[in-house]
Amino acid sequence: MTRSELIDKVNEVLIEEFEVDGSLITPDAPLLATLDLDSLDLVDMVVLVEQNFGFTVKAPDFANIKTFNDFYNLIQERTTLQVVA
Amino acid sequence: MKYALVTGASGGIGRACSLKLASMGYRVLVHYRSRPEEAEQTLSLIQEAGGGGELCAFDVSDKVQVRAFVESFLAAHPDDQVEVLVNNAGFRKDNLMLWMTDQEWDDVLGTHLNGFYYVTQSLLQHMLSRKYGRIINMVSLSGLRGLPGQTNYSAAKGGIIAATKALAQEVARRNVTVNAVAPGYIRTEMTSDLNEQELKVQIPAARFGTPEEVAGLVGFLASREASYITGEVISVNGGLYT
Repeated sequence: MTRSELIDKVNEVLIEEFEVDGSLITPDAPLLATLDLDSLDLVDMVVLVEQNFGFTVKAPDFANIKTFNDFYNLIQERTTLQVVA
Repeated sequence: MKYALVTGASGGIGRACSLKLASMGYRVLVHYRSRPEEAEQTLSLIQEAGGGGELCAFDVSDKVQVRAFVESFLAAHPDDQVEVLVNNAGFRKDNLMLWMTDQEWDDVLGTHLNGFYYVTQSLLQHMLSRKYGRIINMVSLSGLRGLPGQTNYSAAKGGIIAATKALAQEVARRNVTVNAVAPGYIRTEMTSDLNEQELKVQIPAARFGTPEEVAGLVGFLASREASYITGEVISVNGGLYT
């Protein structure tokens, strides 16, 4: 899987889970505000990542995630899926 | 296969809850810490009634033991689901606070409050991922009203009541319910030192309750029918606390 394919997959699961307009998702857009997530929604985010990308997001991970690009980087770094540069 | 974990299943209320959940079709993880014979008796009763289960031993106040058990169980049962958790393990070490020892305080808080946290936290993501779970915490009149001679027990149970309400709000959207059951005077080993004849005059129902009467509520809260009940503390006490 290339990074581009990974991004498509991440966007796909986010759009489906959080029912967000896909056109609002850009690499520099703020993740939580765009998805309209509050702190309780992070429970859903943790489950979503675990089920689709095979690892558990911890609270400190979210502290460093501001944009979708930050989120893609986290997924690429930690996923059990094979991602090529 | 669907599992229910009942901590402290070697005792009266834990045993009754185990039997009830087994009768509902759950394979019961009969937990104990220090009384294997009593836990085996619980399992035998489940099997005699046509149900299934298995024993598990760990100290709920020891996070390493708890996490090791849960992780190994889930790894060995990838296609199974622990749908129900009954946090029931506990004991009393009563004393007036004036004379309470640090050990009495730490032991009671450690088993009840920390035990609730360690076991529940270990299973939470498993339940959230599957969008189904029933967490039932055994609390007490002592945690609702406070009872003299039980500042440690009252604090522990009161803490679990507050945590029940908070956690219920965190996980409700994923179909995981969290409730507490508060028994009053129930005929068990834990109350065997109490004088029922003297105390029953305080109880509108004029008697101690039975473990089966507590288990009936636990069974309901564990059922699909209770899907819209969460964050509640329900008393089973013959009208004692009003």
